[in-house]
Amino acid sequence: MSLKDIIDYVKGQGATYCDIRKERWETTNLTLKDGEMEKVTSGNEEGAMVRVLYNNGWGNIGTSDLSSLKNAAERAISMAKNSNEYKKEKTGMADVETHEEEVEMPMEENFLDVSTEEKVSFLKDLEKKLEKDFVRSTELRYIDRLVDKEIATSDGTQVNMKIPRIVTYLIITGKSDTIQRASEGIGGTGGYELTDRAYEKKDVVLDRLETLLEAETPPSGKMSLIMDPHLTGVFSHEAFGHAAESDLVSTGNSCLEGKIGKKVASDIVTIKDDPTMDGYGSFPFDDEGTKARNRTLVKDGILNDFILDRENAWKLDMEANGGARAEDFRVKPLVRMSNTIMEPGDMEFDELVEEVDKGVYAKSSGGGQVNTGEGTFQFNAQEAYLIEDGEIIKPLRDVSFNGFTLQTLQNITGITKEMDTGIGHCGKGQTAAVTDGGGNVLISEVTVGGRE
Amino acid sequence: MNGKLVESVKKALELIDKKNLAGDVFGVKERNISYSIKKGELSESSEYEDLGLGIRIIKDGKIGFGYCTPGKEEKGVRRAEELSNISQKLDLGLPEEEDIPEPEIFDEKVEDSSLEGEGAEFTQQVIDGAKDLKDDIIPTRGSLSISVGSKVIGNTHGVFLKQRNTAVSTGVLATIPGDETSINAGESRFSRRMDLDFADIGKTAAEKVDSLREKSELPKGEIPIVMNPDAFGMLMWFGIVPAINGENIRKGKSVYEGRKGEKVASEELLMKDDPTMDWGIGSSPFDDEGVPSRTVSIIEDGILARFIYDLKEAIKSNTESTGNGMRGGFKNPPDISDRNIVLRGEGKKKDELLPDQGILVDGVMGAHTLNPASGDFSVVGTPAWLVENGEIKGKVEGAMISGNLPEVLESIELADDYKKSHASIGSRDIKMDLPSARFNDVTVSGK
Repeated sequence: MSLKDIIDYVKGQGATYCDIRKERWETTNLTLKDGEMEKVTSGNEEGAMVRVLYNNGWGNIGTSDLSSLKNAAERAISMAKNSNEYKKEKTGMADVETHEEEVEMPMEENFLDVSTEEKVSFLKDLEKKLEKDFVRSTELRYIDRLVDKEIATSDGTQVNMKIPRIVTYLIITGKSDTIQRASEGIGGTGGYELTDRAYEKKDVVLDRLETLLEAETPPSGKMSLIMDPHLTGVFSHEAFGHAAESDLVSTGNSCLEGKIGKKVASDIVTIKDDPTMDGYGSFPFDDEGTKARNRTLVKDGILNDFILDRENAWKLDMEANGGARAEDFRVKPLVRMSNTIMEPGDMEFDELVEEVDKGVYAKSSGGGQVNTGEGTFQFNAQEAYLIEDGEIIKPLRDVSFNGFTLQTLQNITGITKEMDTGIGHCGKGQTAAVTDGGGNVLISEVTVGGRE
Repeated sequence: MNGKLVESVKKALELIDKKNLAGDVFGVKERNISYSIKKGELSESSEYEDLGLGIRIIKDGKIGFGYCTPGKEEKGVRRAEELSNISQKLDLGLPEEEDIPEPEIFDEKVEDSSLEGEGAEFTQQVIDGAKDLKDDIIPTRGSLSISVGSKVIGNTHGVFLKQRNTAVSTGVLATIPGDETSINAGESRFSRRMDLDFADIGKTAAEKVDSLREKSELPKGEIPIVMNPDAFGMLMWFGIVPAINGENIRKGKSVYEGRKGEKVASEELLMKDDPTMDWGIGSSPFDDEGVPSRTVSIIEDGILARFIYDLKEAIKSNTESTGNGMRGGFKNPPDISDRNIVLRGEGKKKDELLPDQGILVDGVMGAHTLNPASGDFSVVGTPAWLVENGEIKGKVEGAMISGNLPEVLESIELADDYKKSHASIGSRDIKMDLPSARFNDVTVSGK
């Protein structure tokens, strides 16, 4: 049976909506640790998810047994009917343009044509370039994944797409009076050509580790903060972007609920989430088959849009904009970001530093977390420097900062022309490949946590 | 037991045998049904079934790994053999047949309820429990999941082991809506058997958020903090578990390197990894390499005693596997992992731990940003309450708590309110069995 035949069958059973997403994954995963190939794995898998909406209730079945998709569909119908028994609030799917298309995202050099031996040589070569007396331990990871997806919906969309993603991680550890580590991930949507970018990052991690080994613990309390482009990206993603995810907005879990058209950030702030730009989180269609497009979430400080899948667009009476992504065929799509960027401004980096009496210049993310309902966030920087009277004084380690999202967005007083991006994996119960970035950003006041 | 999975593992093993190679085959089947809570209602039901094999081949002392789904064993074995050519050389000895413990980890009632779709009713109980407390409290987000799993591991040395397990877990976020921002608090619980009080989970979340209406001023400086089990578990997992990993010890990436036999924690503190406990959150008869489960005492009476190893690291560190080779699904080769970390102390009543002035913390934001090599942390305690003269007062906001976890352990005090704490952050699955704890050596800063 084709996907369309199964969808027709589900419609015949009285379903309100149905979609099927069939996926085939091809993955290579290598880890080189301290000169030894610790992990050499490769494999493929396939499966599908059938989603059925029956009046107001959903039933979703993920299966790796492609020979019994009709059984899965039957079970999804019965689960949707069961959900509907409990669900009183009305729901629906916002209208979108339907598409019948095949898209293959390009690889200049197809990583499936590169031998595993060559990939191993790449890691070994990179490892040699990281040999320094202050580096105690090195871990390099390489992952490439090609997913071939077919998505069909009961509205008539039928898209096939191939998305290749590739990533390399450099993690180095050293020891002085304390043990410190520095890491960078480099990659994108594309082919083996993207491994070249890994070489550009080797000096970044080496310099960072050497600095951290000399660094002191940070002060604590309220002060100014300058974020480098990568940290700006993570801030835009974590503190702001999650709150702009429509599933959180529509269920009373976002501090941005009801604020479209209102001022939520200082005038110089524009934030976009764009799956169509070059990035690790790029895709041509989302996992509901909606065509990808740029979303300008904040324009000149005014809240302009949310990231919307079809159901939440229906609930909020907005337009769906390609916001549904699923980790793989086992799970239903959630509302997710893609490539999140705070647009660059008009300042030079030195000008930002000159404006700071007491503060911290923080670089590269060590992770972050957010409470979207309460509008609070916590972040960690991998590398940081103390700023006093407009001058960078000395390196700091283990710098964390926290604040209230809406207040902090209003406190942005400067953004540089210079911008950059970094890659990450966002966790929201499922993992999604993302890019984030922006300019260097000055925040006039946040809370920095330290032990001094 | 799942016939298809067992047959597939056997078939892959025969293929390895025919090639006169050594190796092991790990098969997993998991069926998971979950129910989502959105805005005070059950909104959807989802189910997935996962089925696959991880194949490890040792050829000329080199290890290759591949994975596949049943029916594609030949391709999986061929791929693992090819990859062994470029892998490290290591004289990996596979386990031989041995007696294995038989902890209780399978509850038929859980399996039955997964088949009969009772989860929807349980989810409704969670929702009602949260809604019934006060009119303005809404369970805005949550989920309940029921899973039934099977694992099979066989190797070319004659080991062939099978186990089945069940789990029920649920978490709910209760919210009081506000004009600008809302207030929220959550509760989550996990069990391997059908013994959770679903209504109480909703009610507990509602009671927590209800207690956050009044604000208190955040005390600052070096003050004692009492961490509830979930918050404490998060910090322990990110701050101490990497330090007891045998590979990190060998490579000098642990604060506990060279400190075996030293006092590293309060005298009463016992930290063990015990996957042999009945109904333990991470219990099972054997690890994912077929090594029988055993109790590993990590810290005994405050003295650092033992670290954890899988087969590979055991060879490199010249010791034995402690049964800590876990895979995180069939697609990953084994790696060192904690199984069922249990923390016990002198077991004071939690009330006795509450300080004259300090804060009580139910959750932490940013535990994963902790420096895993040094144990230095700086996290936000939320929700958190002011404690004065042993009494819990209003909520405190923006409490940034900084310290070093290995140092905190040296003067830690533990309560007796043991909880099987389960949390996911990113792709990491955190499971620990532990009580509330009082941290006496941290700094609180904030607005």
